Amino acid sequence: MTAIELVFYLFSTVLTLSALAVITVRNAVYAALFLVLAFFSSAAIWMLLEVEFLAITLVLVYVGAVMVLFLFVVMMLDMNSERVREGFARYLPVGILVALIMAGELMFVIWTKGAEKLPLPPGQSDAGANTALLGERLYTAYLYPFEIAAVILLVGIVAAIALTHTGRNPNTRYQDPSRQVSTRREDRVRIVSMPGAGSKSAEERS
Amino acid sequence: MSLTLAHFLALGGILFSLSVAGIFLNRKNIIILLMAIELMLLAVNMNFVAFSRFHGHLEGQVFVFFILTVAAAEAAIGLAILMVLFRNRNSINVEDMDELKG
Amino acid sequence: MTAADLMLALPEIFVLGMTCIIMLFGLWLPEERQGMISFVSIMTLVFAAIILLGWDDPDPAAVSFAFNATFVRDQMADVLKLSAFIVLAAILVYARQYLRVFKVAMLEYHVLSLFLLLGVMVLISAASMLTVYLGLELIALPSYALVALRRDDQRSTEAAMKYFVLGSLASGLLLYGLSMIYGVTGTLSLAQVANITAMGNNTVLVLGLIFVVIGIAFKLGVVPFHMWVPDVYHGAPAAVTALIGSLPKLAVFAMAIRLLSDGLGNMQMHWMSMLVVLATLSIVVGNLVAIAQSNLKRMLAYSTIGHMGFMLLGLLTGSDQGFSAAMFYAIVYAIMAAGAFGVMILLSQHGVEAEHLDDYKGLSKRSPWLALMMLMLMFSMAGVPVFAGFFAKWLVIQAVIDAGMIWLAILAVIFSVIGAFYYLRVVKLMYFDAPDKDDAISVPADFRAALTLNGSAQLLLGIFANILIGLCVASF
Repeated sequence: MTAIELVFYLFSTVLTLSALAVITVRNAVYAALFLVLAFFSSAAIWMLLEVEFLAITLVLVYVGAVMVLFLFVVMMLDMNSERVREGFARYLPVGILVALIMAGELMFVIWTKGAEKLPLPPGQSDAGANTALLGERLYTAYLYPFEIAAVILLVGIVAAIALTHTGRNPNTRYQDPSRQVSTRREDRVRIVSMPGAGSKSAEERS
Repeated sequence: MSLTLAHFLALGGILFSLSVAGIFLNRKNIIILLMAIELMLLAVNMNFVAFSRFHGHLEGQVFVFFILTVAAAEAAIGLAILMVLFRNRNSINVEDMDELKG
Repeated sequence: MTAADLMLALPEIFVLGMTCIIMLFGLWLPEERQGMISFVSIMTLVFAAIILLGWDDPDPAAVSFAFNATFVRDQMADVLKLSAFIVLAAILVYARQYLRVFKVAMLEYHVLSLFLLLGVMVLISAASMLTVYLGLELIALPSYALVALRRDDQRSTEAAMKYFVLGSLASGLLLYGLSMIYGVTGTLSLAQVANITAMGNNTVLVLGLIFVVIGIAFKLGVVPFHMWVPDVYHGAPAAVTALIGSLPKLAVFAMAIRLLSDGLGNMQMHWMSMLVVLATLSIVVGNLVAIAQSNLKRMLAYSTIGHMGFMLLGLLTGSDQGFSAAMFYAIVYAIMAAGAFGVMILLSQHGVEAEHLDDYKGLSKRSPWLALMMLMLMFSMAGVPVFAGFFAKWLVIQAVIDAGMIWLAILAVIFSVIGAFYYLRVVKLMYFDAPDKDDAISVPADFRAALTLNGSAQLLLGIFANILIGLCVASF
C-alpha cells in the first residue's frame, strides 16, 4: 500500500465515522464539532486530489465561519437534548434501511460502470498553480456566475439582517461620543451658593 | 488495489446516504437537520472535485467554489430563520410545530 | 466578454442596479414616504420591460449566447421574462396597502422581491448547469426570507423553516444529479451536454437524471414531493404567497425546459416515464384533496399542485407542441394565481388574513366588482370555456393526445371536471350566500385598475388566445 492510499483510507475512515457521529450523537455541540472534523478530513482528501485552493477555502469558510455560526446558534438556543432525540429510535430502522438501499444502489452504479477502471491521473508538476488557474477561470469564463454569486451573498446579508435585527433596545446603555465631546461645563457642574449656616446645622444634628 | 475514480465517488455516495439517513433520523431537531444538509453538500462537492481531477480540467472545481459560496449564504439565512422561530416559541422541536397541520 | 454580451443581459443589469439603488435610498426615506419604494419598484419593472422589448433583435427566432455560453437569450426567455415583469408589477400594486396594515417592512419586501425577480431572470436565461443552480438559489433564498418576514408571527416563521429545510434538501438532490451529469459528460454547458449524450447514454447518466427530476419535482411542488406547498402557502403572509405562488413557477418551467429538453433531450425516454407518474399523481391528489379544504390558501395550494401536474403533461410529451402548451399554461397560471391572491390581499385589509372560505360569503353584495373579478379568476382556474384557463388545459390535453397517450388525456379531463367543483363552490359562496359581515371594502384606485386588468385578462387571453399561443409556439 502506497503512502497515497494510506492517506486516503485514513482520512476517508475518519470522514465516514465523523459523518456518522454528526447524525447520531445526542448533543448538538458535539454534532457541530464532528462536522468540523468531517470538513477537515475532506480538505485533506481534496489536497490529495491536488485541489489546493478549494481545500483551504473549505477550512477557512466552513470551519472558520459557517461552523462557528452554527456553534453560536447552538449555544445561544437552550436546547433540551433529551427531547431533541425523541423519536430517534422510532425512525432508526427506516433511516438505516433508506441509507443502505441508497448506498447500495449508488455503489452498484459507481463500481460496475467503468469508474473503477479509471486510475488516479499522475500529479502535475506545477501543482501550486491551481489557485492561479482557478482564479483565471473565475474572472474570465465564469464572470457572469461570479457576479450572481456576489448578489446571492448580498441577499444573504439583507435577509439575515431583515429577520434578526430588532433595532436598538431602548434599555440598552450606550455612549454617544459626539455628545460626550460637545459637553460644556454647565452641563456637568452646578454651582450652588450655600448659606453660611451649614456648620451650625451639623452641630444640631450631633 | 490502487486508487480509482470509484474510490472517491464511493466516498461521496456514502456521505450522501448518511446525510439522507440523518434527515430521516433527526426530523425532530432542526439544527441537526441543517448539519445533515451541509453533509449532503459536502458529498456533492466530493463528487465534483473527484470528477474535475479525473477529467483534468477545472470546471468541476469552479462549480464547487460556487456551491461553497451559496451554502454560506444559505446557512446564514437558515440560522436567522431558526433564531426568529426560537424567539417566537422558545423551542426548535418539530413536534411543537402544530400551527400548520400537514 | 464583449459589449454585445452586456447588451444581451441589459435587463438583468438594470434590475440589479435599480434594486441596489432602492435598497440604499430606501433606508433614508421617512416612514410616511415609504410608498415611494413601491412606486420606484414598479417603475423599475416598467423600464426593464421597455429595455427588454427595445433590444434591437435582428432575427427574433435567433438564440444568442453570452458570457462563455453561461447565458442564453431566445424567444422563450423574452416572453417568460416579460410575463414575470407584468405579474410582479401587479403583485407589488396589490401588496402596498397590505404591507402597511400588517406592518411588514416595506423596504425589505420590495428589495427581496426584486432579488427574487432577478433569480427568475437568471434561471430563465440559464445555459449552463452552474447558472441553473445559481438562479435557483437566487429565487430560493429571498423566498425563505420573505415567508418569515412577519417575524413575530409563529405561523409564518414555522412555514419559513419548513420551506427552508425542504428547499435546501431539493437543491442538494438536484446538485448530486448535476454532479453525475458533469462526471459523465465533462462539461457544464447544457448545449455540450446535449451533444455528448447524443452519442449514447449510460447508467450513471440515468442516475443523475433521476436526481435532477426529483429536484425539479420538489421545486414545482408536485406529488409526492409536495409536502411543503400547503404549509408554506398557508403560513406565509398573503402578499408573499402571491409572490412565491406565481413567479417561481415561470422560472421552474424554464428550468425544466433547459435541463430536460436543451440538456438531456436525448434521454427523453427515461424522463418521460418519470414525469408521467409525477403528473398523474399530482392531478389526482391535488384536485381531490383541494375539495376537502375549508381554508382558501390551502385550497389554492392543492389546486397549484393539480395545475403543475397539468403543466407537466405538456412537458412530458417531449414535443414542441407540448412544450409550447406547457409554456402557455405556466404563463396563464402565474397571472391567475397573482389575481386570486390579490383578491385575498384586498379582503385582508382589516389586519386579519381573509383566508377562510366563509370570508367570501356574499361577496357580491359587499362589492360586486370584486366578486366579478374573483368569478373570472375562478372560472379561468376551473377551465370554463372562453376563459384563458380553458385554452391552457385544452392545448395540453391536445398535445397529450397527439403523443398517443389517450388514457392520460381521459384522466386529465375527468379530474379537471372534478377540480371545477371547488372553484365553483367559491363562486356559489360569493353569489348565493348571505354575507356574515357588511363592512365596506375600500379599494385604492391603482389596486382597482390592476385587479380589473388582471381579472379581465383571463377573458381577453381566452378570446384572443391566439396571440399568446403564437408567441409560445414560436419559442420552440
